[in-house]
Amino acid sequence: MEILQVVGIGFVGAILAVFIKERNKEAAILVSLTTGVIIFLFALSKVEAVIDVLWKLASSANINTFYLTTILKIIGIAYIAEFGSQICKDAGEGSVAAKIEFAAKILIMVLALPILVAILESILRLIP
Amino acid sequence: MNIELIFQIAGIGILTSIFHTVLKQAGKEEYSFIATLAGVSIALIMVVQLLADLLNKVKSVFFLS
Repeated sequence: MEILQVVGIGFVGAILAVFIKERNKEAAILVSLTTGVIIFLFALSKVEAVIDVLWKLASSANINTFYLTTILKIIGIAYIAEFGSQICKDAGEGSVAAKIEFAAKILIMVLALPILVAILESILRLIP
Repeated sequence: MNIELIFQIAGIGILTSIFHTVLKQAGKEEYSFIATLAGVSIALIMVVQLLADLLNKVKSVFFLS
């Protein structure tokens, strides 16, 4: 039951952060950040297995690996940006969090552009 | 999952708050600020190492070059 471990770590981190917050606000943010990173690292080790399966499915369906790596990159950017913006929001810096989300959206758009171009090209090939 | 780091950072936070209070009571305002700054810096160094670990793992899992 790994979910119990995760919930336990979350509870311990949250209680410690609340306890320290009155005395030392910066350290409380660091505690919640550490808790988040530890839980995130645990979840990532599980995601690895899922991505392995996705790779096998894609290779058996003869999908171009470029598209799969692009999608995975987009998911990774979204995960990291969400994590960073949540930490900034917890620290009370909502404007920095908004900028992080904005930058992540731009980066995702840049990554998605080649796929969009490929779709448009295939549509143009179908039209005439 | 090394949960010790959470306790270490929480301990650093509590200790620095105690130092802060004691130094303030003793009338050394400037030292109390420096003590808090040092504690936060030490905790930040530990967190940054963990964060670098996380970002490297994310990079390797999601092919973010």
